[in-house]
Amino acid sequence: MVTLGHYLIVSGILFAIGFAGVMLRRSLIIIFMSLELMLNAANLSLVAFSRFHVQPSGVPDYNAQVFVFFIITVGAAEVAVGLAIIVALFRARQTTHVEDINTLKF
Amino acid sequence: MSYLELLKLAAPEATVAVTALAVLAVGLIRWGETPSNRRSSAFCSAVAGLGLAAAVGAVVMLPQSATLFGGMLVITPLTSLFKIICLALAFFTVVLARTDLSSRNRGEYLALVLLATIGLMLLVGSEELLMIFIGLELTGLSLYVMTAFDKTDIRSAEAGLKYFLFGSTASAFTLFGLSLIYGMSGTTGLAVIAQKLSAQPISPLLFAGIVMTLVGFAFKIAAAPFHLWAPDAYQGAPVPSAAFIASGSKVASFVVLGKIVLVGFGPDKGSAAWHAMISGWAPVLAVLAALSILIGNLVALAQSNVRRLLAYSAVAHAGYTLLGLVAGGRDGFSATLFYTTVYAFTLVGAFGVVALVRRETGGDDLINFAGLRARSPLLAGCMSIFMLSLAGLPPLAGFFGKFYLFIAALRAGENHGLLWLVALALLGSLVSLYYYLIVLKVIFVDEPAQHETSLPRRNVGEGGDFLQRVSLSVPGPLVAHIIASLP
Amino acid sequence: MSPILFWFFALLMLVFGAAVVVNRNPIASALNLVVSFLGLAALFMSLDAFFIGIIQVLVYAGAVMVLFLFIIMLLDLRAERLRKINWVASAGGVAVALALLVQIFYVIGHLTFSKQTFPPLARSEIDDVHNIGLLLFGNYNLPFQIIGVLVLVATIGAVLLSKRERR
Repeated sequence: MVTLGHYLIVSGILFAIGFAGVMLRRSLIIIFMSLELMLNAANLSLVAFSRFHVQPSGVPDYNAQVFVFFIITVGAAEVAVGLAIIVALFRARQTTHVEDINTLKF
Repeated sequence: MSYLELLKLAAPEATVAVTALAVLAVGLIRWGETPSNRRSSAFCSAVAGLGLAAAVGAVVMLPQSATLFGGMLVITPLTSLFKIICLALAFFTVVLARTDLSSRNRGEYLALVLLATIGLMLLVGSEELLMIFIGLELTGLSLYVMTAFDKTDIRSAEAGLKYFLFGSTASAFTLFGLSLIYGMSGTTGLAVIAQKLSAQPISPLLFAGIVMTLVGFAFKIAAAPFHLWAPDAYQGAPVPSAAFIASGSKVASFVVLGKIVLVGFGPDKGSAAWHAMISGWAPVLAVLAALSILIGNLVALAQSNVRRLLAYSAVAHAGYTLLGLVAGGRDGFSATLFYTTVYAFTLVGAFGVVALVRRETGGDDLINFAGLRARSPLLAGCMSIFMLSLAGLPPLAGFFGKFYLFIAALRAGENHGLLWLVALALLGSLVSLYYYLIVLKVIFVDEPAQHETSLPRRNVGEGGDFLQRVSLSVPGPLVAHIIASLP
Repeated sequence: MSPILFWFFALLMLVFGAAVVVNRNPIASALNLVVSFLGLAALFMSLDAFFIGIIQVLVYAGAVMVLFLFIIMLLDLRAERLRKINWVASAGGVAVALALLVQIFYVIGHLTFSKQTFPPLARSEIDDVHNIGLLLFGNYNLPFQIIGVLVLVATIGAVLLSKRERR
């Protein structure tokens, strides 16, 4: 049988894959895609918990699904702003690599 | 619950939203034949200022206490007070924007300031995780755009990118943490979460959820080791954006962080005392505070750019402020709130001086401040007050803030368990005195590189006067206010 | 849902998710991301969250992916050329991600209720679009309106930042 733990583990692995992408990749576009993976890992665990916390009336806990609905919207807005920043940066510097973006010293 | 009631309770936010739309519209108007759109931008600022004033009025008209939708919108004297503080900080940002930015796209910039302010007000006035998440994202997105706003400066887009990358990674962590906390408690309202958590022992999953949630807030308040974006954002962003990030965003984040840990996670506090560590969120925050104080103060010593210096000192100040939350309780929370408020107003003032110096000399390195005393005694005076207040010298407001924080931390727990943190913070304050004094030495002793005309004292000069008074006056009334409005 | 289908879709999502991170060509990564999200949508539906599953396909496969592909083409990004790999940084990144993974496994393994299967649902006459809609316009009215403000911010930001400035 598939249990709650299975879903949580899958979601945890997805989160770790996304985080590894953010840490390892130097291409901004791919970093953004990895961020999306991380957000969706959170969505998966929320939906799994929503199915787990069945209400007394026998329906899943829709509050968590509404949460996911909002997260998807926010995620899309975030991608739009992030890609616009990339475009602005590309206009100025002709690069989308993290290593080339170093005017400000650490 | 009718829509009319919702409108009544959310009137301040609605006012700010309508003002933002009005400012956007006004910014599009072409004024006659004049090629420069200075009149349009002045009009935008006026509309924004009026709208903020109206919103303050709406906050004052709110009822004493109300709760909507299980904590999504909570109105207490405390939240009303902090909504007014956020609006005041936004007002100073609007004033700052008049001196610094070129008048291109002024309407859009001011609209973003206002929309970010809505996010701050929601953060301050919410005790529900979904609403807090949306408030965080609304503020965050507006601030990313405000940081990358200046297309003429190559560093602006870069700062925006770094802020965005760190910010969205941190919010992904927070989100995963929130999903775990929802899973353990089956709800998203802070008060109900506290009930559920007190019924069960702290499990590893819950602890993971709490830590991941705290990551996002540690990023927002720029606590080490999640501070890497701060120096770049403070230096590369347009000055008003940097000031707003350092003040408004920080105040609201501390208010909501305090509510989350003290109200929501209250049962799982644990203990950070050196002789009796108990796992929970308090040790996590204590480690963040210690790292922030160490890293912030030490790296600040090596900075030659005033904005970077302010950024690293901001990291250190985040560390001090966390002390109050680690101490917990009414005293600790009120000390935190008081300190972060005083700090925010002081920092907005300091950024105002930076903006004027930058406009006159074209840069904000320490060299640009050389001989400021001869050029503009007023600005030099303001800056010295701000710096000494940040350093925490009596009788300035910064001293009282630190004093309350340290006392609260000492009193918390038996046997002065937090003594190690307080000692570290005192040491950090001593170190910080050195770099603040270096700034003052450059201003008062060093000769300017080339001879320049004296600085005008418009706009920010007047705002500076007010902020100076805030720093100077012994801030008893504010403390009384905060303590009185705590539940 | 039967365990076979669960594992099929979970592995589909994870393998293609990993392919997003590993691929050198941004277009290939973007297409892998779509497949990964389709797997995720199937998992949502296996949890009886049909509305969320549909939204996931519409928003991610439909909107977000087009945005990614559009930017890749606008900026004419090619496959990333091989650079000297900074081994210290990469090792650090792998170590942090692995530590996270181990921690997640440990935490979930120690969870008492993770072994439980999902409780059965009552047969309901009302579909979940209806239920979610009621919540959105009832209890979640305020956040729903604030989301509108947030989308306004994203619109202003995207237009301003990607606009070419006249010199």
